[in-house]
Amino acid sequence: MTELKRYLAPTSLDQAVECLKGGNVTILAGGTDLTPQSQAGRIKFKQTLMNIRHIPQLTGITLEGKEIRIGALATITEIMEHPLVRQHLPVLVEACDHFASDQIRNAGTIGGNICNASPAGDTLIPLLVLDACVELASMPEAKLYRHCMPISTFFTGPGKTRKSLCELVTGVRIPVPGAGHVSRFYKHGTRPALDISTISIGLAADIHDGVMKNVRVAFGAVAPTPLRATATESALEGRHLDAATIEAAAIAARDEVNPIDDVRATAWYRKEMIHNMTKRLLENVSA
Amino acid sequence: MTVAEKKHRVIEPDSLIGKRIPKMDAPDKASGRTRYIHDINLPGQLHGRILRSARIHALIKSIDTSAARALPGVHVVITAADIPDQRPIGVAKDHFPLKVGRVRSERDEIAAVAAESEEIAEAALKLIKVEYEDLPVIGNPEDSIKPGAVLIHPEPHGADGSHLHLKQGTSIAHRGKADNVAMRFDYSHGDVVQAEAESDVVIEDSFKLHYVTHCCMGVSGMIAEFDSAGNVLMYSNTQVPFLHKREFAEYLNIDPARIRIIQPPIGGGFGSKLDIYPFEVICLFLARAAKRPVKMLFTREEEFLASPTRQPVLLTLRSGCKKDGTLTFRQVHTLHDNGAYTSWGATTPFVMMQTFSSLYRVPNCDYHTAAVYTNNPYAGSFRGYGNLQATFAIEQHMDMLAEAIGMDPLEFRMKNAQDAGEVTGQGMSFKSCGFKDCIKSAASRSDFSRKFAENHANQKKPGNIKRGIGMASMLHVGGGAKIYPSDGCGTILKMDDFANVTLITGASEIGQGSETVLSQLVCEELGLPISAVTVVNNDTAITPWDVGVHASRTTFIAGNSAIGAAKKAKSKILAVAAKKFDCTEADLDLRGGFVIRADSGEALVELSKLLRNLHFQDKAELVMTTFYYEPPSVHQDKGFKGDVSAAYAWGNQVVEVEVDTDTGFIKLLKVTGAHDVGRVLNRLGIEGQIEGGVVMGQGYAFTEDLMIEDGKMKNPNFRDYKLVTAPEIPEMDIAFIESMDGEGPQGAKGVGEAPAICMAAAAANAIANATGVRLFELPFTPEKVYRALHGQTPKRYWKPWKAE
Repeated sequence: MTELKRYLAPTSLDQAVECLKGGNVTILAGGTDLTPQSQAGRIKFKQTLMNIRHIPQLTGITLEGKEIRIGALATITEIMEHPLVRQHLPVLVEACDHFASDQIRNAGTIGGNICNASPAGDTLIPLLVLDACVELASMPEAKLYRHCMPISTFFTGPGKTRKSLCELVTGVRIPVPGAGHVSRFYKHGTRPALDISTISIGLAADIHDGVMKNVRVAFGAVAPTPLRATATESALEGRHLDAATIEAAAIAARDEVNPIDDVRATAWYRKEMIHNMTKRLLENVSA
Repeated sequence: MTVAEKKHRVIEPDSLIGKRIPKMDAPDKASGRTRYIHDINLPGQLHGRILRSARIHALIKSIDTSAARALPGVHVVITAADIPDQRPIGVAKDHFPLKVGRVRSERDEIAAVAAESEEIAEAALKLIKVEYEDLPVIGNPEDSIKPGAVLIHPEPHGADGSHLHLKQGTSIAHRGKADNVAMRFDYSHGDVVQAEAESDVVIEDSFKLHYVTHCCMGVSGMIAEFDSAGNVLMYSNTQVPFLHKREFAEYLNIDPARIRIIQPPIGGGFGSKLDIYPFEVICLFLARAAKRPVKMLFTREEEFLASPTRQPVLLTLRSGCKKDGTLTFRQVHTLHDNGAYTSWGATTPFVMMQTFSSLYRVPNCDYHTAAVYTNNPYAGSFRGYGNLQATFAIEQHMDMLAEAIGMDPLEFRMKNAQDAGEVTGQGMSFKSCGFKDCIKSAASRSDFSRKFAENHANQKKPGNIKRGIGMASMLHVGGGAKIYPSDGCGTILKMDDFANVTLITGASEIGQGSETVLSQLVCEELGLPISAVTVVNNDTAITPWDVGVHASRTTFIAGNSAIGAAKKAKSKILAVAAKKFDCTEADLDLRGGFVIRADSGEALVELSKLLRNLHFQDKAELVMTTFYYEPPSVHQDKGFKGDVSAAYAWGNQVVEVEVDTDTGFIKLLKVTGAHDVGRVLNRLGIEGQIEGGVVMGQGYAFTEDLMIEDGKMKNPNFRDYKLVTAPEIPEMDIAFIESMDGEGPQGAKGVGEAPAICMAAAAANAIANATGVRLFELPFTPEKVYRALHGQTPKRYWKPWKAE
């Protein structure tokens, strides 16, 4: 039986982070992970269940200077359909399109996907290659405190992040890519919807005169967290995308991941797919 | 219109046969009005839940239910100790509903609770303390038959070594079993040794078939209630109410007359409801003890854990042929993972041996199966009943033999396919047989030969996308199967004063569309629209006996029974009308709700009026008829020979795939099928049944995989157990071969199981055509395919096992 004693639905960010001070709070947004996981006994409700869906500061998708800010409560569907995202962040749209099913996309939020911190989380791979930052809010004293953390340092393990129990993810900030930016996403699942990635790959770079700069590569479902693939990035940084570079990068990719065997695939197959599909994505970019 | 003109109204001939008729239950199902067992709640009802084993194989040292009993809202807690008159259940009588002294699989039932809510019942289960002593686990059938293997059903002794002194009996549950072999089947015709010597080509391969389960959308459930006189009313999802009535009576130690089974609409059967399972008997025990109605519904996880599965099979097939393409022999050994207990599904070799002995002309055949106990979930019956497994092996060998002698696989099949009039080595007599037409139709519509040659030529060319085409054929019973003393079905038909028909049939509707087809057949005889029929088919206190829904038998058997009752009604009506119009019965017919002149179609009298005249007169009479149909099939002899079905169904399916050699992904492009169904009765219904079967076969071939490791199920959920989803379903082009079976109702034969049978075999042949690599193990998941394509799948050889 649950220890749940209190249900809160704050209508402002201040109220919400104030409630978080004690730390003994389970946060509910879309509920698409929380509900099945609590029913399966993998998540135990804390004393307070806090529904954050009525907090206006957590909503919206806006252009703020050179960044696109996506509020934590933005649903996967909203993101996928938003003109700003479609114009500037096609790789995120691609990942959203492979996210669960329509029903779940209508309810599930990007903040939830980030905080669930699954190594196979579909939006996390594009966020990693887009150099996204996670916005956090808390109330250490009597005043609201907000700061950002690069998403590449945010995840610490399956379901684990650097967010403290007193903090709330309020949104994510993504620099608007410049000219020459290319990006790709690939999800390896066995069916078109409602599938957990066997592996996923994200790729982004600025290409000028055929040379790749600021290369970002990320892999999902091959490590305890979504993974920035630094060795693969190095194999590509400053290079032309010729056949030898592509093969070298694919091999670097295979060598730097260390996946596990589970019900979806063996580690061997995952490494093979990282190699083959990194290669295919790079070939697609060079074509 | 004048009175004179009206007199000469002519009714044109019309027929319902072959039309596209929506299923009678469809509007309610589509609009959410259907009341499934899940929607039924009785006043005073309690909720039952079962405590299942926390171990795979263990002795039960103690069970403490005191805390559960003390929980407010709990009415009854039972363990085996509380039911001293428990009788063993199952086809081999090898387990008790509540386990005694020992658990043998993850699903095993230890205790049960009836409480005022599901939540309280669930909470009570958590309060039950069980102490176990673990035993070694047998996780696969090969280990089960090794000398010295732990016995799954030893003579029952308590944990301290003392004999349990169970109630005397001869069942396995009482006396144990000295080895782990649950069932054996040995069949042969001809002389395979001689035949092999005369063969030009002989091949031998081992095949491995995996666990899948039915995944009925409606989870299992039951409501049981005892009245004050001790009579039992059960709301049950069974497919075989009349046989189960008798069995339940035995388990409750009461007269079968006291048992009444009502079958609410069910959310899927597919064979899964052919056995009585522990939960049903336990629900009865709870209701008996609580003196209240008890409802028990599975959770989805429980549905995975505690429902039957298809038989996992290890199979070694040796086949031979001559250079001219004549098949010479088949020799096959199979090892079936029975799981911890034995269900009806253990008798799948009945069907498998028919396919080995009689799919194509096989002069010599030698077949052996051992179904052995393990600590895995116990396998049951599932649409196709062993035929998917057998066909998977045979149809791959058909391609391989053809390749070995350099013959086109289509030509090779045509050369060995049977014609009407043939009797096989197993004694099956093919009175109607559209086999060759099926093969020809599927091949020509899919352009098989051209594509087969082209794909073969493309195998070695560069590029990671390879196309393949493959075919497989099937043979299945299509006129019932005489397994029980009777394979019959009864019908009661009554007509009311408005010429509406109530068709009371023993045949259960389990979603297959039997209500609609039976109504069509009745209306065809009585010249009525389908809206004139009400079907009553779900209450053993009302409906006449039927052996149950299995063996693709309902349209054939219940259809003939319904026609029989309708014909009797018709002849009574025509006799009355003949008298009234002073002519012979042969001069008259029924059409469009009228009695008509047979030659001109002239309407003589409204049927409803005639019926009222008959009713409201001095010698009042009603039209009520009964009929019992028993098919002219025979029981097999001790050597499994005999014409067990009144008709046989044939089919051929061609599968086209695209293989991505970089990932192992397979895109199923198209399925072209041709099925000899005797005759199409309801075109809409049969198309739906074929399409559904193809998708079920697709799931078996490509996506579904119930992963069991050392007795533990790793994916009891729809996230990781992958049913085919809508976008994955391929284009289908299905044709029907109408061989007009002489015994079938309006010429029809059974087709329920047929469409699922060929898919995996045809897919394997298509993958081989695309890549040159042959896969001997299911399912064809991306990783399995990728491994095989990259030489990472060592070829398995299972050495046929013979008992000492």
